[in-house]
Amino acid sequence: MKELIKKLTEAWGPSGCEHKVRGLIAEEVRGLADEVRTDPLGNLICRKGSGGAKVMIAAHMDEIGLMVSHVDEKGFMRFVPIGGLRSVALYGNRVYFENGVVGTISAEGEGWRTTPDREKFYIDVSTGAEAGPGVGVGDAAAFWREMVERGNRIVAKALDDRIGCVVGIEAMRKLAKTDHEIYFVFTVQEEVGLRGARPAAFGVEPDIGISLDVTSTGDTPKDDKMTVELGKGAAIKVRDGGHIVPPAIKNLMVKRAEEAGIPYQLEVLPGGTTDAAGIQLSRAGIPSGCISIPTRYLHTVSETVDIGDVQACVDLLVEILSKPIEL
Amino acid sequence: MIDIKEIIKKLCSAKGPPGCEDPVAGVVREIWEPLVDALERGHMGDVVGVKRGAGAEPRRKIMLAGHMDEISLTVRKVEDGFIRLESLDGMDQRILPGQFVTVFGKRPLSGYIGSVPPHLLGGKDGQYPAIKDLVVDVGLPAEEVAEWVGPGDVVTFDAPLLELGENRLAAKALDDRASIAAITICLDLLKTRSHKWDVLAVATTREEVGSDGARATAFQYRPDLGIALDVTFASQPGTSGVTFDLGEGPTLGVGPSFHPKLYKKIMDAAGRLEMTIHADPAPYPGGTDTAEIQISRAGVPTALISIPVRNMHTPIEVVDTKDIERAGRLLAEFIAGLDDDFLDSIAYSLEPECKEEEDKGGEEGEA
Repeated sequence: MKELIKKLTEAWGPSGCEHKVRGLIAEEVRGLADEVRTDPLGNLICRKGSGGAKVMIAAHMDEIGLMVSHVDEKGFMRFVPIGGLRSVALYGNRVYFENGVVGTISAEGEGWRTTPDREKFYIDVSTGAEAGPGVGVGDAAAFWREMVERGNRIVAKALDDRIGCVVGIEAMRKLAKTDHEIYFVFTVQEEVGLRGARPAAFGVEPDIGISLDVTSTGDTPKDDKMTVELGKGAAIKVRDGGHIVPPAIKNLMVKRAEEAGIPYQLEVLPGGTTDAAGIQLSRAGIPSGCISIPTRYLHTVSETVDIGDVQACVDLLVEILSKPIEL
Repeated sequence: MIDIKEIIKKLCSAKGPPGCEDPVAGVVREIWEPLVDALERGHMGDVVGVKRGAGAEPRRKIMLAGHMDEISLTVRKVEDGFIRLESLDGMDQRILPGQFVTVFGKRPLSGYIGSVPPHLLGGKDGQYPAIKDLVVDVGLPAEEVAEWVGPGDVVTFDAPLLELGENRLAAKALDDRASIAAITICLDLLKTRSHKWDVLAVATTREEVGSDGARATAFQYRPDLGIALDVTFASQPGTSGVTFDLGEGPTLGVGPSFHPKLYKKIMDAAGRLEMTIHADPAPYPGGTDTAEIQISRAGVPTALISIPVRNMHTPIEVVDTKDIERAGRLLAEFIAGLDDDFLDSIAYSLEPECKEEEDKGGEEGEA
């Protein structure tokens, strides 16, 4: 599983440019699904089983990034955010473009003394040579960092939400046979407003939706905004900034976790939301829940998860999908 | 050949605040009537011109969307014969005092937005008054104003169209009537060009308040492709950020809301016309009708063609008519090239493809 986490987190895929990640996942799920296809927005839809309850599982392939808006003659580029960039995490960071060009982010003047507004930051892609760097206005970039292991912890960029993709893929692997019709959907454009999941749900028309996404934690110094902790198991979402999970779904998840002895914790996330919120609003309404992977330092290059939590999420999803789903 | 300035004059002089587009809808219908096979009305009041293609049924459909609503103000209350205002859709408070307006009460009333003389400001000059502190004066006795005007009535600019130099026009509501003019040019060109797909030319409603019209029409008509046309920022003194020179051609949106292969196909069409198109970065959805068309039903591949305009959201929006003509020609060229296999040719692949083999070409070696 760690091998897969490394492969997916180190792949390049800002919102709207998910093709590389989609290719890697398509390769991975070959043989695990009865049908694999893409839809008009680029969502990757993998069906397993037929008949029975229609369940849509969603994990998003895209990651936050940025897009070049202006290039000056010296190779300094201004940019606009793709998704929720945190200005405090920009200074000194590195980004890379699809063609491999690496840029360094800095800020105007003595920008390191405080956290400047986003407009004051620029990307340096100067080469010292006459020829330009081969990137320009409209090109997207993602943050660059290698995955590392630290005991049970995994530190990587883009764990939001490649770790959700990993949970989905591992569940497909583990789920030998199912009475349900399950659609594992690897979605596009979650970070710019859940724009892949909702149309995907319209097309799939499921009876129930479950998103697999990261959630924040409250276990770091002077941060007690929520009770979720790393290493305490799968987080079953109760509600977040854009989604109240129907109690029947939350209760079913809790029941399955307790029956199987899978460690879990309840999640109340004050801000932010997941694809489940988009699925729930598709068509005439699709009741949706979310299994969250507790993650520290979201939207930075050092997102951190506990491998035991990831395994608990896989186990819980498999448990839910291999038993009756009655709401 | 249609007279573009004449068309724009007609379109821009019509009234059409969000939710009250009927007057401008009438003008659009009149202009499109000779150019399409059928004129229909969407559930939210969109004008839908259907121009049928020559392909075998069932034919694919492309939706072209330009919004006909214009920014406006709303009446908050009437107080001692003066009309107090509220902004609902991105009105710029800096430019309001001294403007001529029309108040759409029980009958339309001409008026102006007042400005307190600097001598009487009590030392507070140099500040822009908030919209809630502005009043409209229609010059009628208080009891008559109260009779004709009430809360919720809409107020729009009443501004003449100015011809500037050879190709430039200044007017209100060029956002986004300029795009409706471009769609008109496209429809006119398609009269003499064969095209396989059905074309749905849509003048949308309520774009300035969240694209309700485009959302409803896309759902109702189920297009296979959507191209929205809107305005983008033209360069002018005092701007920073991404801007485009007037008269240097329309732009093509790049970002998550725009299908990368559709983008490429439109660029190819521009190439066939030897037309320069600039990439217009838009990393976040919203602000144009593509935001709603893209996520309609199970998803629609979308693109955005924009026309540079100066002084956006004022009564003196400025365009270069060459840009509008080019946008119309580009649309027609692209539509004429749509064949039965087009959707397959832009489908997302399961392979870990590169952004595009073709478009990086010679520069790739640098990395």
